[in-house]
Amino acid sequence: MLGDLRKAQEVFNTTLREAAVRAAQGELPTESFWLFREARWRCLEASKTDLQPESLEIEEHDVTPGAASQIKQLEPAQLAVWISAAPDPQRTALALFYLDEFNYLEILDIAELKLSMLSRCLSQGRRQLQAWLDAKHTGAPEI
Amino acid sequence: MTALGLLRRRRALLNCAPISHDHLADRSMRAAVSRADGSDEFVNQQNFDRAVAELIRLVPLPPESAEWFLDKEAVRRPKWTWRRIILNPAVLAISIALVVIAGVFTFQVLGRLNDFPGSATARKLLTVAGSTRSVTLDPVSAEAGTLSDLFFMKHGLEHYDVPDEFADFRTIGCRVFDDDESQRIAQIWVAEKRMQFFLFPAERDSKTGAVLAFPGWRYVHQEGWVGAVTEHNGVCFMAALQGREKDLEPYLSGPKQ
Repeated sequence: MLGDLRKAQEVFNTTLREAAVRAAQGELPTESFWLFREARWRCLEASKTDLQPESLEIEEHDVTPGAASQIKQLEPAQLAVWISAAPDPQRTALALFYLDEFNYLEILDIAELKLSMLSRCLSQGRRQLQAWLDAKHTGAPEI
Repeated sequence: MTALGLLRRRRALLNCAPISHDHLADRSMRAAVSRADGSDEFVNQQNFDRAVAELIRLVPLPPESAEWFLDKEAVRRPKWTWRRIILNPAVLAISIALVVIAGVFTFQVLGRLNDFPGSATARKLLTVAGSTRSVTLDPVSAEAGTLSDLFFMKHGLEHYDVPDEFADFRTIGCRVFDDDESQRIAQIWVAEKRMQFFLFPAERDSKTGAVLAFPGWRYVHQEGWVGAVTEHNGVCFMAALQGREKDLEPYLSGPKQ
């Protein structure tokens, strides 16, 4: 979500602290995904002060059979930065989806999205990532 | 939902299709995935997603946070305990329905166990007993056992005999009528406990015409009335009163069932 280890650590700590304080006061929410929703909002808050990407038309390509091998050549940090640079709610959708810990109903709940929006975010994300991968492999300038 | 709407929803579900099959959340997702399984586009998408997820797993975690996730799942799946399964509304509804069905079935089986040839007619006559007023009967003051001759001579009813157990009872009135199956029924009202006697043809085998006999006395119940029925010479006799079996028991002799 943040593409920055230091910020991620801060968000993690403050979220846990908040949960601990609420638990001590007996006010821990009973909603299943409260902690994740809280962490998400803190991530969004933390990245508000960052340089925001200019809104521009990002190229999109169909996902190709060779995409998997292209992805394997990436550094994990590159992918993390690419996801953290996406505008919200696409960033949340991609981060939650590719963590592979939640089913789509849980993602809809945590990210407070509708199915159509989640679907659009993921589908666009794939196509944009494919275009970025293609650009990297043909040596075109990176976005 | 229109066909176009359904297609859109299926498309949307496929875009959110889980990377691992553990996360097939609901039936609609399972249906969408099973329909698309094997299509080139979907296979590409799944390979793409798997590769991204594998790479994401390699993203380094801040060391302080990482220790929280050692050998732990980020999301603890709810365990399916017996209590959870039993309290599931669908399971609960099905269980209640099964209990009701079993109850009705048991009730019917128990009802059948007490059945005997002529029990249906006996039950109908208990309803008649409940609705009969003494004024509808011809007044007759005699011993019940002597009415056999009256039934034979006046109505041509053979073997319409009152058993010895009830033969000495004083009668108040009697009548002969046809029931809804055109069977000749004799009804006697006696003074003892405002009891009523019924004599009616025993049930016969539909093919051979032979009387379906049964030994001793059998009880039937209907609307607060109880009847004790016995068969003799192709005619059933029923002593009926408003009450319970134990009210009739002292009058009966021989095997009771």
